[in-house]
Amino acid sequence: MNLVIAALPAFLASIVEFVEALTIVLAVGVTRQWRSTLIGVAAAVVVLIVLIGVFGSALVLLVPIETLRLVVGGFLVIYGLQWLVKAILRAAGAKSKHDEAAIYQREIAAMREEPPVPATGMDWISFTVAFKGVLLEGMEVAFIVVTFGASAGQLGPASLGATVAGILVLLVGVAVHRPLARVPENGLKFMVGLMLTTFGTFWAGEGVGVDWVASDATLLALFAIFTIASLVAVWVVRRQLRAAPVFAGEPMAKEA
Amino acid sequence: MRYLRAFGAFWYDFLIGDRPELFVGSIVVLALVWLAINVGFSPTAAGGLLTVLILVLAGLSIWSATRART
Repeated sequence: MNLVIAALPAFLASIVEFVEALTIVLAVGVTRQWRSTLIGVAAAVVVLIVLIGVFGSALVLLVPIETLRLVVGGFLVIYGLQWLVKAILRAAGAKSKHDEAAIYQREIAAMREEPPVPATGMDWISFTVAFKGVLLEGMEVAFIVVTFGASAGQLGPASLGATVAGILVLLVGVAVHRPLARVPENGLKFMVGLMLTTFGTFWAGEGVGVDWVASDATLLALFAIFTIASLVAVWVVRRQLRAAPVFAGEPMAKEA
Repeated sequence: MRYLRAFGAFWYDFLIGDRPELFVGSIVVLALVWLAINVGFSPTAAGGLLTVLILVLAGLSIWSATRART
């Protein structure tokens, strides 16, 4: 059970983030130089592995589990609610969906405005853009892996979930050689938001002294409550938007 | 200094972003539940209170995001 608790959210969140990172990497590699791009990706992956290893181990070894669950639970509630609220707004049509194909075109246009690729040696623009893209998207994965892994005492399975997701996205990316625009990104974000909010509420509750009535089984009840409430929220927002025809032609809220 | 500022901006965007009410609200909700338990509220009932407050917080955030459009 703990293995699934740690691995599944890390796996799903990683798919979302790695799909976004893949878009940047493909855009840089296609328009500039693959060698420098891949070195940038490798450097970012090494930094992420070190961060997960250092911070994950430090948290597990140095921080008492009660404190860890309060702080980590609090962060997960904040982060989970952010994902969930955005996913609800996107599902209801109040916020534009993440469009990997459009982002890919923007990245390619930006890369073409950069100075030309040097004839020999490293292309530092390719390296830097790929490194930054993978590191920034990967930081969110690292955060989830470290927090889930540390709180559930399952840093290994959480890291494995993220690694499997990374390899999966990479293989599909290499096979199709274009951004993965068909991945149901908002559905995945919805699910991850629900999971983070559920576990965050549970652990932070334990941290502030809540005695959950059904112990670990409360997680299932919390997940069900948050899922039903979120679906109701999507339905309510959709109805509100339909009932406001004056604003029907207004552009959707800017994507964040 | 530039790296420090970028580091700070990353964490601000990561945890607060465009929905600061979720950051502040989550801390307030947890503080309220902790306070309730410490003044004698049943720790079992506090689980229900925490769940309801989280739902209210999410609802308020969604309401504030859609208010301008409706």
